[in-house]
Amino acid sequence: MLMVVKNQIRITILSIKYALMREMLNKTTFITNIVFMILNNASFLIQWIVLFSLKKNIGGYNIKQVILLWGIASLTYGLSHFFFKKAFDLSETINNGKLDVFLVQPKNVLIQAITTDVEPSAIGDMIYGYIMLFIYGISLKNFLLFTLFGICGSLIITSITIIFSSLSFWFQKSDLIVDTVNRLMVNIATYPDGIFKGLTKILLYTIIPVGIVNYIPVKVLTEFNIYLTLISILVTILLVLLSFLIFNKGLKRYSSSNLMIART
Amino acid sequence: MAIIEVNKLSKTFKVKLKEKGLKGSLKSIIKPKYKEIKAVKNISFQVEKGEIIAFIGPNGAGKSTTIKMLTGILYPDKGNIKVLDIDPRQERKKLAYEIGTVFGQKEQLWTHLTPYDNFKFFGAIYDIPESRVEKKIKEFTELFEIEEFINTPVRNLSLGQRIRCEIIASLIHEPKVLFLDEPTIGLDPVVKENIRTLIKRMNKEYKTTIFLTSHDVGDIEKLCKRVIIINNGTVVLDDSMENLKYHYLNKKIVEAKMKEKVNLDDEEGITILKDKGYNLKIEVDTKKRSIADAIKLLNPDNIVDINISNIPLEDIISNIYKKDRK
Repeated sequence: MLMVVKNQIRITILSIKYALMREMLNKTTFITNIVFMILNNASFLIQWIVLFSLKKNIGGYNIKQVILLWGIASLTYGLSHFFFKKAFDLSETINNGKLDVFLVQPKNVLIQAITTDVEPSAIGDMIYGYIMLFIYGISLKNFLLFTLFGICGSLIITSITIIFSSLSFWFQKSDLIVDTVNRLMVNIATYPDGIFKGLTKILLYTIIPVGIVNYIPVKVLTEFNIYLTLISILVTILLVLLSFLIFNKGLKRYSSSNLMIART
Repeated sequence: MAIIEVNKLSKTFKVKLKEKGLKGSLKSIIKPKYKEIKAVKNISFQVEKGEIIAFIGPNGAGKSTTIKMLTGILYPDKGNIKVLDIDPRQERKKLAYEIGTVFGQKEQLWTHLTPYDNFKFFGAIYDIPESRVEKKIKEFTELFEIEEFINTPVRNLSLGQRIRCEIIASLIHEPKVLFLDEPTIGLDPVVKENIRTLIKRMNKEYKTTIFLTSHDVGDIEKLCKRVIIINNGTVVLDDSMENLKYHYLNKKIVEAKMKEKVNLDDEEGITILKDKGYNLKIEVDTKKRSIADAIKLLNPDNIVDINISNIPLEDIISNIYKKDRK
């Protein structure tokens, strides 16, 4: 069992490494992608600086907390899109029958399918995330917690995406739901907790778990809370397991296709 | 011992029906209609160790579906499959270590990497120790003659070179069964011949069982000793190549150059294929009339030149396809 896990990790790292090598073939595009993503993210912060010059407290957050929120949102987005880029195209992969290649290999189909490509611009998001943490105030504890929440958050985002994408095994087109959920997560992730109330708030801690991905980390980093940290880890584990379960259940309904090209 | 055992295998696809136009689309949202397509119906067959078997049929006959069920890609609805005594449904990964697959229309290689790096990657996928991978790569590089381009990125290779690399990639882990789905599609005759020789050598040297689908009669004729023909999801023929060639249709083609014209109209067991004055091409049904008889009809003294041949395999196969359609 341990050997199986070790070999799986080895092949996953190799796969990501090869995908990264492919992206680096074109040096200029690769670097501009990263730099422009950082600049793009930075531009959003300007509007917050303007807002905070008018009001000291927005939705329960001060400017430092908004910076932290941006940091965690960028890091989770960056990690999930860099390492699991193909998870966000999983619907298409399923509908077009592109899982064949992975099904004839003695490794986990889901992991193989989502780690076969990387998104270079997401490196910009990750760097930006840590720049924000640096501005917020860096310490070893902050750094470790920030990284932990980054990993948890990115796994949650990826799992939710996989779960919705796996619906493609049952209904032809689930990519629309996936896109909507992802866009909602990205859009909401950078607004303070306090501006959402009622039903929206419930949604943010369930189907669109921005609450767990972004708000809990901000809370814990502002004032450490072991329970919230544990809840975050627990939710991550549960969602990851659930995503594997649903994907594997759907895989039995996989219908393949005769379209060409498996890896681009 | 049978290496592949298929027993009463069935697979049905559910396809949504849609009437034409936007109106049809709206209708299908409110009240969707489905049609069941039975891709594979209750088929059974066995393949023995070391065989090279041709699994052929017209487009849409269920070949790919069957191959995909055998390799664990698709989940069958009914029936049993045992490949090397492993059920692909239950132990997909275990089976994957033992089989190799080449799909001529799909690529499994990383196109930006060199064949060498790709082989290393496949070695890792099958958990083969580094030193062993090196040894295998060296062995196959010689066998498949790829020294020239082993360090050129795959995207810069020609189709023939790429297919050779695809085959090597699927052989790195020394599979006991190799599934080849149209491996020679789109290749020129020289490369085709090359690939066929390699497949044959593989079969001889490593005793690999080979399960081949192809539309290329040359592939089938030159490689396989046994043929399974599938049409409309059922096995219509499972026989040795020889039987198929010489007994299935009991027909011979006689081409003769004559001194004088002969009239063979209305002769039983003889069909005139071409009659151009002194050049005659006829088909003799040996069930109804022996070849000797047919030659007597032509009058041996009258014959300048004669050529008696079998019906081309291609015709035999397309006849089987057509007959089954009716």
